[in-house]
Amino acid sequence: MSYYLVQTLNALSFSVLLMLTGLGLSLVLSLMNFVNLTHGSFFLLGGYVAIHWIGAGAPWWLAFPAAFVIAGAVGLVLDRFPFGRFYPRTHLMQVLLTYGLSVIFADLMRWGFGADTMSLPTPELLRGVVFVAGLPFPIYRLFIIVSGGALALALWYAIDRTLWGAAIRACVIDRGIVETLGLNTRRIFTVGVVIAAGLGGLGGALGSGMLSAYPGLDEEVLLLALLVVVVGGLGSFGGTVLSALLLGFVTTFSRVWLPEFANFLSLGIMAAVLVIWPSGLVVRKMRPV
Amino acid sequence: MSTGLPAAPLLAKRRLGDKIALALVLVLALAPLISGDGFSLRFGAEILLIGTAVMSLNLLIGGGGLVSLGHAAVFGAAGYSAAVAAGSLGAQLPLMLLIGIAAGMLIAGIMGLVTLRSSGLFFLVLTLVVGQMVWELAFRWREVTGGADGLRGFPKLALGSLRLDTPLALYLVAAGIALIGWMVTRSFQQAPIGQALAGVRDQPIRMGALGYQVGRIRVTAFLVAGAVAGAAGAIYPFVNQYIGPNSVHWSMSAALIIMAVIGGVGSLYGGYLGALVYLFVQTEVSSYTDRWQLVIGLIFVATVILMPNGIAHWLGQRGVRGGRV
Repeated sequence: MSYYLVQTLNALSFSVLLMLTGLGLSLVLSLMNFVNLTHGSFFLLGGYVAIHWIGAGAPWWLAFPAAFVIAGAVGLVLDRFPFGRFYPRTHLMQVLLTYGLSVIFADLMRWGFGADTMSLPTPELLRGVVFVAGLPFPIYRLFIIVSGGALALALWYAIDRTLWGAAIRACVIDRGIVETLGLNTRRIFTVGVVIAAGLGGLGGALGSGMLSAYPGLDEEVLLLALLVVVVGGLGSFGGTVLSALLLGFVTTFSRVWLPEFANFLSLGIMAAVLVIWPSGLVVRKMRPV
Repeated sequence: MSTGLPAAPLLAKRRLGDKIALALVLVLALAPLISGDGFSLRFGAEILLIGTAVMSLNLLIGGGGLVSLGHAAVFGAAGYSAAVAAGSLGAQLPLMLLIGIAAGMLIAGIMGLVTLRSSGLFFLVLTLVVGQMVWELAFRWREVTGGADGLRGFPKLALGSLRLDTPLALYLVAAGIALIGWMVTRSFQQAPIGQALAGVRDQPIRMGALGYQVGRIRVTAFLVAGAVAGAAGAIYPFVNQYIGPNSVHWSMSAALIIMAVIGGVGSLYGGYLGALVYLFVQTEVSSYTDRWQLVIGLIFVATVILMPNGIAHWLGQRGVRGGRV
């Protein structure tokens, strides 16, 4: 029984990582209808930044804001060129552009950071294990759950309860009307991309203590984040959280029960969810036009 | 879902571009035969087979607006099935084709059925997920597929007692498959069901209201594309006597799509031109630098920024301008 409790905590920490990454991707996807396949690269970049930051001896707790800022800066540059001119284009073109960019980033990161698996030099405070019902559980993962959960809560508050969030939500629903109210939606889009990229980087920084950082992680995370967003339903905060939890638990427990074909099983379950709910778990009710 | 297809006035240009592309493909297809050295024949066979897969994908993307990110799984699953079957049953050409076509139709049919109610981004991700499930099988099911190492050492292609393992024979087989595949795809596009598919692409709700069975049309398109890609995929392992999990991975699916875009979405010959350009650059660049993946990424970015309508369309534009002067 306690074994399953530990696995549940494992699943929860993985879900929180998926949630942070998925929320970033979801923001861009529902806000601008822009499919950003470089999101996995932001995640991996954040991981490398955190590892090198702590490895260089800088204060460890600043590593996470640093990952956010650096990934966000990359997002800002990309928003200027070439994302900006692709917002009105078809999904096919967006997919090809951002896929190409993600391949370029993957190669550049392999060049710059090396092809070896690197793990986060965990700070003294977060090292070691706690005993959950007699079984050891890494403190770092508890840190992921708590800080990631707090962050998601803050994000929810910002989007759901502040004027800034209201402007972003309004853009999702009807950009034209927001424009007539005198708001610069292009600038709101830029802010959205930067925050999304930053969240990706932050997720990667947190995740590097659990998943490590290695070439290829970007692609794995991208696939999972895409699934989280799509299964959750576009433009729905609650849906993204729900599907992150679902995917986190499905992945973790299929690894426990069927290690060899774990990914096959979890992909299959998520595909089945999409077959039953073709527009995701939470669908915004829209007037058919 | 729109795929950036041309409006009606562009169609004449598109047709002309298509004709020029056909001439270009024919000239290029003859080149390895004339030069006759083993490397270019083998490389030519690879281009023809992958080009056929791109053409079948073009049936889905250009004809039906169905952007599938899992088409490499269809192509690769046929290759794996053929290679595995060759190990126990022998590599007879008709048998290999039959198995490849069946495997291709099976995977494509599953994709078609699973995505029946999906559209847009959901369609894209769902095809990606199904494709990655095939990759997981190819990568993890070590006893059958060889896992990360892939499959080697299966028998060489033969027809009766005639051995088809020389570069020339492989090239001719590939050319035959490309030709028959092209005929099948073209006749499908021109048949009423192909026209109905275009209708489903542009106006799914109206087509439904007119009494067309939208789902059945989509699944049929998937099955035809799967059969063509499967036939090409069945021969693919025999070109280099090797098939690995990369041929099923979604990065290969993305490569197939970019080849379709390089050639020109909707142009059936364009797929061959796209495959030629992409594979040529990949082979050339990887021969003198380790950073070839960077170059692959640059090909994607440059294509969508500079030439989103593809070679076939570009040729057509040149042709029309030239004609007026």
